[in-house]
Amino acid sequence: MDIKTAERFMEKLVKAGMEYGFEECEASFAQNGSMSIDILKGEVSSYENSATSTLSFRGLKNGQMGYCSTNILDDSSIDFLLKSAMENCEVMNDKDPQFIYCDENNKDLYFSQITDAYAKNTYKSFSELGLKLEKAILALDSRIDAVDNLSIACSRGPFLIINSKGLHSYRDTDGMSIYAGARATDSDGSVKTGGHYWIGNDIDSFDMDKFLARFKEILIGKMGAKSCKSGQYKTVIKSEAFQQFFMAFFSNFLATPMQRGLSLLADREGEVIASDIFTVREEPMYDKALTKIPFDDEGVLTTDKAIIDKGVFATALYDLRSAYKAGKKSTGNGFRGGSSVSEGPTNLIVEPGNKSFDELCQEAGEGIILTDLSGLHAGLNAISGDFSLLCEGYLIENGKQGRPVEQITVAGNFYEVLKAIEAVGNDIINLPSGEGEFFTPSVLVSSLAISGDDEE
Amino acid sequence: MFNDSDVQRILEQAMSTTADFAEVFQEVTESKSVGLLNGEVIRASTGFDSGTGIRLLAGTNSVYVYSSDNDIEVLLKLAKEAAAAIKGNEKGKIEALKELCSTTKATVQIDPMTVAKSDMVDFLRKSSDFALNYDPLITQVAGGLASTCRTARVINTRGVNTEDTTRRIRLSVETIATKDNEKQSGRVAPGTMRGYEFINEYPIIDKTKEACDTAIRMVNAGYAPSAKMPVILCNGFGGVIFHEACGHALEATAVGIKASYFNDKLGEQIASSVVSARDNARIDGEWGSYATDDEGNTSSDLLLIENGILKNYLVDELGARRMNCKPTGCARRQDYSYAPTSRMSNTYICKGESDPKDIIAATEYGLYCTNMGGGSVDTSTGDFNFAVNEAYMIRNGKIAEPVRGATLIGKGQEILKNIDMVGNDLELAAGMCGSVSGGVPVTVGQPTIRVSSILVGGRES
Repeated sequence: MDIKTAERFMEKLVKAGMEYGFEECEASFAQNGSMSIDILKGEVSSYENSATSTLSFRGLKNGQMGYCSTNILDDSSIDFLLKSAMENCEVMNDKDPQFIYCDENNKDLYFSQITDAYAKNTYKSFSELGLKLEKAILALDSRIDAVDNLSIACSRGPFLIINSKGLHSYRDTDGMSIYAGARATDSDGSVKTGGHYWIGNDIDSFDMDKFLARFKEILIGKMGAKSCKSGQYKTVIKSEAFQQFFMAFFSNFLATPMQRGLSLLADREGEVIASDIFTVREEPMYDKALTKIPFDDEGVLTTDKAIIDKGVFATALYDLRSAYKAGKKSTGNGFRGGSSVSEGPTNLIVEPGNKSFDELCQEAGEGIILTDLSGLHAGLNAISGDFSLLCEGYLIENGKQGRPVEQITVAGNFYEVLKAIEAVGNDIINLPSGEGEFFTPSVLVSSLAISGDDEE
Repeated sequence: MFNDSDVQRILEQAMSTTADFAEVFQEVTESKSVGLLNGEVIRASTGFDSGTGIRLLAGTNSVYVYSSDNDIEVLLKLAKEAAAAIKGNEKGKIEALKELCSTTKATVQIDPMTVAKSDMVDFLRKSSDFALNYDPLITQVAGGLASTCRTARVINTRGVNTEDTTRRIRLSVETIATKDNEKQSGRVAPGTMRGYEFINEYPIIDKTKEACDTAIRMVNAGYAPSAKMPVILCNGFGGVIFHEACGHALEATAVGIKASYFNDKLGEQIASSVVSARDNARIDGEWGSYATDDEGNTSSDLLLIENGILKNYLVDELGARRMNCKPTGCARRQDYSYAPTSRMSNTYICKGESDPKDIIAATEYGLYCTNMGGGSVDTSTGDFNFAVNEAYMIRNGKIAEPVRGATLIGKGQEILKNIDMVGNDLELAAGMCGSVSGGVPVTVGQPTIRVSSILVGGRES
């Protein structure tokens, strides 16, 4: 379905919604087109191509917001959407007011960032690159048995919102990613696996040599890995692992969980919550980010802000509803998750320090480097901040990266880790996160509990 | 759903080049859910989605195209693109379509889709009202009730023509206890393929009380120790350890590309002789059941391990081609936006002979895990982890103080061999499993078992 047809349907739906008895209402339309290939054993083993779309409706009645969604856009859907949304309004008794919004000065919002380079994403270009990459990975080291996962994917899509207050908001984006995961056999017969990714929006900007060098470091670096003794270790959390770790607890920085008693950061804006060398900023239009976000999904313009400023919790992220409850202004962080709206981050940046990764290890002296954390969906308590996670990495011996370690867990508390950051590196990487990306370097933490095999 | 002539046109278009097999998967899913927080209804939603996936195979080369637009012209265009991308040697045949076979794997008295949301809210409110008045330490209670009805039609070039309908209900109650700056939660989350009568009969007050008690005990508990020790995993959701440490490594997704530590192990001893295990998709009304899989095959009750000996892998069509065997009726996908692959259904360690009390009494020192969280596994290396939500130390054969914050880690292939006692109290529990074909409802299960040695990753030395 083309966007113009969707737009006409949405205008009709919003008009019908007002006639149906909603005080205000809004329709949103998300479309996604994607293409991907998988490479296995010298062949394109799989090719996928898709076009999907979802239409969501929400209507306000007696202070309650009812939601409904479908992907069928015809007249019969209008009745279904309005009736279901009204039924949902009627069962709700949410005490907090909800909003359908339009800024009088910014009624028509438009931001397109689909690049010309997207046209280069073809079956041919992906398969040629994929086959070349698989071959190059296998040639990195004789111990690499197979590249079990090699996937190249791209997607793009528009997102349109129309509401009864006059908002007409259009945003679109595109992107591509490359992931490769391989398996190698160690000298003792044990199997090691490792993977690496790349994200971008121009296939020609993919630097294969750089990718391969890091890939080798990740996988071959694990050869000879074994457990280590339990104890408290000075810990360097490598950038990739720190990104996963920080984001696993990020809901604590959102206003709604705070207001619902699900975050220990509630009412603590202005307090010291982290080491004074730790700053996290949100920059929706960050120049190095692939996706730029000038306005959120409620029609509010986004702004730059510090979330943690030199250790001080500067601000939570608010949408219209949580901001109203807190007596503040929305920070432009209301984004759609499924059909409903809640707070989410755009581009996050951990302010880099001036030490390289090697210098962080040198500062640690003796300790451990964590490169991979597993089980983040289960092995932590997002509210209390407690975690116990399977991890991999290296020992730090005499200020240098030493032998690889595996089959260990790291345990501690998120809030204690924030305060225990002793140094921040300058080895920034970026990973997709929330609506945008998260840019972070590695950090050095004064002490974390490692459980391992005491016989090692 | 499509008529037969439309499907025939799609199959013909898909087979116009060098595919040896083509399949059309069409799905319609209705969903409704309500969510309460501290007695307030903060969420009520309804959804209706449909879409179509077209898969082509030529040997082990696969092409998958899908769309949420069910317009025949759109799908014919996608089928044409797919046909252009498939890499086979010769044009395959299309067999005559068999008569439609409609199935469902549950006895449903009250269709959950017909239940008014106000009734769903009233049910959850009982839980909220109880929890908020139970103990001053309980500061939050969240409840959710979600129903789906999914009809999936599969038609392929071998004449397969099936339509399977599954209705599922998932209830969740999460309570949070707060003490000083500490918050801990307790949770119950049953799921069923039975009708809404399951909810009407569910002992919601007793179960909410259990969740409250867990949260209160855990907010008062100290941290778990860090050490290798014997671990007893209680029945029910403890089965997630088998799901992670063994189940995923038996799926053709891993075995078919030799990326599993159980490659070429059929007929070999892979577990201790007290362990037998099944993957049974045919249990009436169970959360992970289905009558027909997402490739149109009849579901099965598969013996995976018998007295420690590996008997079967879980194999889908593509896996069967790679492994030179037959599919076992275990192909599943979250929805039409995923190609199907081998997945678990209701997977459990079978009932053993030990009395659970004797298992505890026979353990001088160890960890007794009564409530487990989720986990994950690397099927190539065997590295697995899973989280423990509620646990107790065992001292001198007796259950001692509660502890929290532990994760169990190990190598799947080693853990199975270290199971030295299996109880007689088999129980199943609902969960969601995420893998290459998306999130699917699964049941895990086991009787109480003891693992003689496992690394407990806690915070206390």
